[in-house]
Amino acid sequence: MPDDAASTGKTAAAIALGWVVPGLGHVVLGRLRQGLLFAAIIWGAFGLGLAYDGRLALRDHRQPLLTTLQVIANLGVGPADVAARLAVYGEPAYSMTRGAGAREDPHRAEIFRARERTGGANYGTAYLWTAGLMNLLLLFDVWDIARGRRPLP
Amino acid sequence: MTSHFLHMLVYSTLVSAFFALLLRNGKREQLRLGAVLWLSMVGGALVLAWLMFPFPR
Repeated sequence: MPDDAASTGKTAAAIALGWVVPGLGHVVLGRLRQGLLFAAIIWGAFGLGLAYDGRLALRDHRQPLLTTLQVIANLGVGPADVAARLAVYGEPAYSMTRGAGAREDPHRAEIFRARERTGGANYGTAYLWTAGLMNLLLLFDVWDIARGRRPLP
Repeated sequence: MTSHFLHMLVYSTLVSAFFALLLRNGKREQLRLGAVLWLSMVGGALVLAWLMFPFPR
């Protein structure tokens, strides 16, 4: 392990914090400028996604693989995704169905489809998923930095 | 903002800035990669649009 590698605890903390607040993982590891710039990019993309009614994906048993991947992309930005769902659906909804039932929840489905019909929804979806996926990539970068594999120039 | 083109510019800017910061150290290298990525995305989309122009929808 390189000399500048962080402890396992600090590595885990940086990854967890990086997921909770995009960019914070880098800040914790001493890369303030990088962390702030990453935060600005990811929050910018996330904000644009919400402003354009991007899809906050709901898992649908008719398309389980695709919709699960969409939910994972959304969840990449951390708890901000939960807050967005609370604001949009009125609850932290992640599935088109409620409980163990196979019938879709009409309230969630109506909100989901109404947002899809708005003019900028496709753009919003691209921004939201990109924000989540970028933050997931950042977590791997945090891991590499913590292990000492990304020295500063 | 309803312009496809403006969205493309904004999206390309965000993505190229992200990857330039992620993959390069040093401002000069970051700016160079960011510019290459941005021009590739925007230029590639414009070239593709131009190639598709003769084909009917």
